[in-house]
Amino acid sequence: MEKGKMPVKLKELAESLVNFGKNNGADEVEISILDGYEFSIDVRLGKIENLVEAGSRSLGLRVIKDKKTAYASSSDLSKETLEHLVKNAIKRANLANPDEFSGLPALSTKKIDIPSLKLFDPEIPKLDSKKKIALATETEKIALEDKRITNSHGSSFETREIRIIFANSNGFLEEYEQTFCGLSIGLLAGKTDNQVEDYWSSSKLHFKELESPEAVAKKAVERTVRQIKPKKIKTQKVPVIFEPTMTSWLLGFLFACVSGVSIYQKTSFLVDKLGERIGNERVTVNDDGLMPGRLGTRPFDAEGVPSQKTLVMDKGILKNYLCNTYAARKLKLKSTGSSSGTGVSPGNFYLQAGNTPPEKIISSLEKGLILIRTIGHGLNPVTGDISRGAFGLWVEKGEIVYPVSEITISGNLGEILNNIEMVGNDLDFRSPLSGPTIKVKELTVAGQ
Amino acid sequence: MKNPPSLAFEDHFNISLGDFQNILNTALSRGGDFSEIYLEYKIHNFINMEEDIIKETAESISLGLGIRVLSGEKTGYGYTNDLSFEKIKKAAITAASIASSRTLREAPPLSPVQYHHNFYPVQESPHKESLEKKISIVKEAYHSAQNFDRKIKKVRVSFVDHIQFVTILNSEGLKVSDVRPLMKLACLAVAEKGDKREAGFSGGGGRVGMEYFSADLTPKEIGQDAAKEALELLEAALPPAGEMPVVLAPGHSGVLVHEAVGHLLEADFNRKKTSIFWNKMGKKVGSSQVTIYDDPTIPYFRGSYNIDDEGTIPKKTLLIERGKMAGLLQDRLSARLMRRPLTGHGRRQDYSCIPIPRMSNTYIEKGEHSPEEIVKSVKKGFYAHKFLGGQVEDSGKFTFSVSSGYLIEKGKLTAPVKQATLIGTNIDILKNIEMMGSDLKFGLQTGTCGKEGQAAPVVDGCPTIKITRMTVGGQ
Repeated sequence: MEKGKMPVKLKELAESLVNFGKNNGADEVEISILDGYEFSIDVRLGKIENLVEAGSRSLGLRVIKDKKTAYASSSDLSKETLEHLVKNAIKRANLANPDEFSGLPALSTKKIDIPSLKLFDPEIPKLDSKKKIALATETEKIALEDKRITNSHGSSFETREIRIIFANSNGFLEEYEQTFCGLSIGLLAGKTDNQVEDYWSSSKLHFKELESPEAVAKKAVERTVRQIKPKKIKTQKVPVIFEPTMTSWLLGFLFACVSGVSIYQKTSFLVDKLGERIGNERVTVNDDGLMPGRLGTRPFDAEGVPSQKTLVMDKGILKNYLCNTYAARKLKLKSTGSSSGTGVSPGNFYLQAGNTPPEKIISSLEKGLILIRTIGHGLNPVTGDISRGAFGLWVEKGEIVYPVSEITISGNLGEILNNIEMVGNDLDFRSPLSGPTIKVKELTVAGQ
Repeated sequence: MKNPPSLAFEDHFNISLGDFQNILNTALSRGGDFSEIYLEYKIHNFINMEEDIIKETAESISLGLGIRVLSGEKTGYGYTNDLSFEKIKKAAITAASIASSRTLREAPPLSPVQYHHNFYPVQESPHKESLEKKISIVKEAYHSAQNFDRKIKKVRVSFVDHIQFVTILNSEGLKVSDVRPLMKLACLAVAEKGDKREAGFSGGGGRVGMEYFSADLTPKEIGQDAAKEALELLEAALPPAGEMPVVLAPGHSGVLVHEAVGHLLEADFNRKKTSIFWNKMGKKVGSSQVTIYDDPTIPYFRGSYNIDDEGTIPKKTLLIERGKMAGLLQDRLSARLMRRPLTGHGRRQDYSCIPIPRMSNTYIEKGEHSPEEIVKSVKKGFYAHKFLGGQVEDSGKFTFSVSSGYLIEKGKLTAPVKQATLIGTNIDILKNIEMMGSDLKFGLQTGTCGKEGQAAPVVDGCPTIKITRMTVGGQ
């Protein structure tokens, strides 16, 4: 996307390719075009490290013929290449097998008022490079003023402006624009052989909502230095408090398990559990793609199905899977506007906040762990099993006594959902998957 | 595109060499030290089979270029997939803006570099093969997994192949190209018994031709291996937790070398002094049984390349020699700033990315102990067979997720175990390597490594290894 200039021809291109596909024998055609501009600046130890600025476009398409599907995509938007891709996709579709569940969604009568979603901040395209560089520089400078910080991974500021155009042969033709900005910093503390590290970042669609350099720097410093001189602990079962970033991580795993795609593929432990109790009454989870100005907000999904608010878990009862059109047809459900193509992606997927301030949750802990970071893989959606490397803060008698590292936490998502004892009031929508502080009755923490 | 893609980048970029020369100079117009154009054209194919049908196929074309300017420690980068001269020039001006020096350089005329090696001399190039043939291979793997046992309830097979044409032009007069094939057949099998449900995975590929499926690893074997693993996991228990001796299986455990050691020997982390290794060159960092290489020149391997993404001819690089730190993986920027020779490890995901030091095929050299002897030496411990992956921090702290393993009791492998996590600090583990096996193997040719948001195909390997003590996370 050219800065400040919006080409209109892409919409015509999308429409003409839909027609081209139909005229060449496709039963159904879907075209999506992404036109984007990005700027990013990395500053480290006071100097600019990288500056990237670019505009780029890409196009994705799906054709269906006799219930057989083929996909294609290209960053080359020349007419010759695109028409070749469409024709070839129709040929390839013939080699796939018919699938009664395939096909585009019917045209929805629901109309989303795109401006009300507040996806575009006109201030972001106007930010000049000097201001952007200054934001990253300032953030790092403030962080490095703290003498406990010994090195820096650098601070970054980035912006993106994208325009999405979507057309299909059922008569859908829409577009929207969206902005994004993000400020982040990674820090190290301690000497080389006893180093600890952490980062903090703020990401928003609107520049004025972005956390200040000072706020981002201070949070990153605090998160890093609290891990200095960690101890190892003995293997034991203890209550574990999840900080909001960790609850969000857990919700990412829950999202993967309530995905309609995982359900029809039977790769989730929540298969056939709709309407059943899978957690205790403290657990209410929603997915809402329509919250104005939030990171997961979008007017429609990757198939042109309008976004909606879906109740996923209501006081522990599993109410809905999140489906694209295909998964919905497989499961005899309705699409929840969650398509990311052949998969699903969240809108704003969040655990409803409780009433307890996080400090009270900590002070309620006689002995246990505050989980602050995890690393590694170790999530199995088929069983719900969790096993991850972890970093935390050890708590005794309601007080943080020392940091711990080189531990693993293990448990099971199904058990965790049933064992959430407290839910904090600090839900902050920092990411599309978001949750407040929670306290889980018991997890295995493996150490020495 | 009806004809096989041309090897000459000029055919995909409607711009003369003279114009590119001009662009390289535009990129230096603010006083940069070095400018470079990376041109990429890639055709990617995908087939997916699940629920007994070929569900979909996909084809994707990626065409674009990235322009980089280096000025001291600074990098300016612009990229575009609109290949008009004006847009390319604009990307060059963007990249140029990083510099502000009065000393202007002029790029010498471009002179093509010919090299005389080819690490992927494939016979039947996958991108020329018909879709029908590829579909038949997918079906073969699928049915082999499905028919292996009645408990196999679900199978998914995917086939991906790509051909990538890259050309690098730079202000030192370099003009060099590479054409890289890549292929992967992967099978996931889910087995069920009562309430239990477990998934097994297998796959193969590399920078190979279609002949691979008859000569090296058949689709049938790939399907069976996935099914076997799923069935075995049905019988597996969760592991005990705590510190214990750990034996790492050959091949699959190479991920440990990759994560725990390889990443921290990438030059950027050492130049920035964030890696635990930055001040340890030549010093002892592990048991004298440990020698580690990264080798981008192994024929047909997924991590190999004829030139890296900065146009450097790659070298087999010694990283750890008998326990002493011996080398780093370099890209141009770090090599120049650290005054070290290039090793040919500057890689990038695609034209939109700045090249950074990356691993290729990383492995621990074999030792003297037979694998039987190693297992026999453990009274009570854990045998890590297959890994899902791992992650490491600059501090050297790492975790590995073990998908399947065994208990070791009285020198024998006993009960199968699933879902364990290994955690530790790399230097501790390197020092605690007690026995090195004589059976060097490489893991599956399916791995992809992520760094700073960039994906790169990699392979890793190791022999059977005994670690005196390691923390195992489990029940």
